[in-house]
Amino acid sequence: MQPNPAIAIVGSGPAGCYLAQTLRRSMPDAEITMFDRLASPFGLVRYGVAPDHQGTKSIQAQFARLFERDNVRFAGNVEVGSKLSLDALRDTHHVVVLATGLARDRALRVPGESLSGVYGAGQFTRTMNTHPHENPTLPLLGDTVAIIGGGNVSLDVVRLLIKSPADFDGSDVNDPAVEAYAESPVREIDLICRSSADAAPFDPSMLAELGRIPGVQFASEGQTLSGANTSSATQSALEGLRSSEPDGPPRVRVRIHFNSTTTRIAGKDRVEGVEIRLPDGSLHVIEARSVITAVGFDFDPSDPLLGEMGANSDTGLLAEGLYRTGWAKRGSRGTIPENRQCAKAVAAEILKYLAATQSSAPKAGYSGLPDATLRHVIDFEGWLRVDAAERAAAPPNRSRKKFADHSWMVATAHENIDGQTTSAAQRRHVKEQS
Amino acid sequence: MKISILFGTESGNSEMAAEDLAASLADTYETEIRDLAEVSPEDLREDALYVFVCSTYGEGELPNSALPFYTALSQTRPDLTGVHYAIFGLGDSFYTETFGHGSLKLDAQLKDLGAHRAGDFGRHDASTWEPVGEVAVAWFEDVLSSLQVNSNAA
Repeated sequence: MQPNPAIAIVGSGPAGCYLAQTLRRSMPDAEITMFDRLASPFGLVRYGVAPDHQGTKSIQAQFARLFERDNVRFAGNVEVGSKLSLDALRDTHHVVVLATGLARDRALRVPGESLSGVYGAGQFTRTMNTHPHENPTLPLLGDTVAIIGGGNVSLDVVRLLIKSPADFDGSDVNDPAVEAYAESPVREIDLICRSSADAAPFDPSMLAELGRIPGVQFASEGQTLSGANTSSATQSALEGLRSSEPDGPPRVRVRIHFNSTTTRIAGKDRVEGVEIRLPDGSLHVIEARSVITAVGFDFDPSDPLLGEMGANSDTGLLAEGLYRTGWAKRGSRGTIPENRQCAKAVAAEILKYLAATQSSAPKAGYSGLPDATLRHVIDFEGWLRVDAAERAAAPPNRSRKKFADHSWMVATAHENIDGQTTSAAQRRHVKEQS
Repeated sequence: MKISILFGTESGNSEMAAEDLAASLADTYETEIRDLAEVSPEDLREDALYVFVCSTYGEGELPNSALPFYTALSQTRPDLTGVHYAIFGLGDSFYTETFGHGSLKLDAQLKDLGAHRAGDFGRHDASTWEPVGEVAVAWFEDVLSSLQVNSNAA
């Protein structure tokens, strides 16, 4: 085996972090670097997990240990595939692993999908999480919105739309977006789910959570059960929702349509409704001014790294010394912890490969990368400055205020703050919110 | 007294807490740390203190790595009289209905089989963002002092 192999992991979300963890346990002396195109680590934990699910986001404390004590290097602000070529990375590292996830909303593949007023749940969640490459505010959705999909992401969208600004206490939500939305919130939400209530992929606890938001009226339709399991957690969650009558007229109504397949998005220039097929085969059009699709995530054919490669659950191997893990390997299935098992399998493949390549030439590793790349790198210390600035800027009842502008993150990361001096970027940031 | 820390985890957080706890004890006690996936109820002895560090997964279930141990307890129902344990549960109070249910189940089963619990049931709530290792270490100090109080009184 290589005495001290140099390993590059592209992407610092859950897939990459679990892999670095597993590799570090087996190879205490390997040089491990995690690259991210953003100045911040943790990927989906920071920008995909809903901003009001802080308990789920707290897993970043576990991942931060990689950089704090496990001698894994964070190299942020490096986009592999554009600023730094994959070849340059492979030339300098014994193993390169793509852990870049899947950022693109999966297509529904029904007529009308390209109408104006159709949005993806990924887009939506990134806006609510203040992703620097996403729109800073939500589009104007209108009074009625249809949400297509029966998973947890779909319920995230429902929940974020039915909350008032006061329901976001303790979160790090994008407040300007929430405030703008609160001026003309959605009044009617139709959630369209292909499967029956007890076969739907969402977690029952996510459904139950909706019932704790005041001022909402719930109804469900077509929830034929697939099996005999009528006492399921989903059933009791649904009953809980139906019995949670708001005091006075509801702010918003949510109807959940089970066993309903979307056949078409109706409209001329923009969305006017969604056509669904009911279990009895009949077609029915639900009125909607906009549509949010939440049917999973997909490979982006324009992605210079992943392209149209598709999912493969058998192996992480792409080419000699080149691997992938997480959603980039398996497709968009499973929760964050599932990436831990995935990482263990890919790490085993990598260890086997390294054990068999004892005689290969030494590689320069991270320090062998072009100066033009290294100059712009944000290290973990830099990220900690961004982290501190964001926490310091948190308005009352919020855990942090995220930087909306990536060049701001970069500027703050590069400034050496000694605890006394506030950086110019930080002052601007605090000023903007006051 | 030997301290054996047994973790059951899905996301890795319980393992991290177990490692922190082990590190805090290693200078004073003979300490071992094991994945519950590799422990069988027959391994439990009377001359050690077992510290379970375990999360809750899904709808209040035990994490996958703790399931074989729990299932073996339920099926073989060994007599655990004389076995001493402490238990620390990780959860998220956001999920009010199922908060900490996985480790509560394990606690109930151990008690039911005659094992003696030392100290209070420990808890960590992910929604607080308190460092889980620090919470576990502080909790275990209380467990140890309750043991000393008991042995002084005896």
